[in-house]
Amino acid sequence: MNLLSGIDITAGALNAQKTRLDIVAQNIANAQTTRTPNGGPYQRQVVSFETALMRQSGSNGPGLQSVRVGTITADRTPGQQVYNPQHPDADRDGLVTMPNVNLSYEMVDLITASRAYEANLSVAKNARTMAMKALEIGK
Amino acid sequence: MSPLGSVNPLSAAASPLTRLDAPMPKIGLHAPGAATAPANGFGQMFDNLVSGVTAKEDASEALTRKVLLGETDQLHQSVIARQEASVSFSLMVEVRNKLVESYQELMRMQV
Repeated sequence: MNLLSGIDITAGALNAQKTRLDIVAQNIANAQTTRTPNGGPYQRQVVSFETALMRQSGSNGPGLQSVRVGTITADRTPGQQVYNPQHPDADRDGLVTMPNVNLSYEMVDLITASRAYEANLSVAKNARTMAMKALEIGK
Repeated sequence: MSPLGSVNPLSAAASPLTRLDAPMPKIGLHAPGAATAPANGFGQMFDNLVSGVTAKEDASEALTRKVLLGETDQLHQSVIARQEASVSFSLMVEVRNKLVESYQELMRMQV
């Protein structure tokens, strides 16, 4: 039995949003990385979520679904080419392929992830408030 | 999936509280001659409740230690486990208050 119902779901969602935040951090950190182990510039990573069945509440209750990180895929969009002949990764024409990270996209993603995290935190807070209110029955 | 999913030590302890339609446990209103204590009385239930709360607090403490030691970065899960332990502790205190209240009510009863 779980005293705070639905808190597992919220925990899963918080976890997923945190992973998304980590990926955004990785994208921003590697916005100028032109060299990766696979060769070529860094490619922007994109997180996608999928539902995860937590548990069946009761025999005929609804199956409660949480969320988890499904896949982390690379964005295949070609990066910008910058003319910089002094750069060690420049090709024969002096062009350097930069990562396809767009900082404005990443900032929007950052804000979305942070707001989604906050929303899930309020769910957790409300679950606790409801439990504490239920304990006040009969006072 | 989450460590929280496995944290349900109250399941056995609180089951007498969850099912309102369940038959009432034998409180054991024995005749004065019968000196044997009831095996499955209220004390037993309260004992289970206390150990359930302790288990929840232990689990949350383990999660907090893991976060502090850097073994995991699931800060929210440690805080949520702490909240759950706090709520179950409040439930236990509430049950104890009711118990003491009924005892005092009994003591005030005119014979």
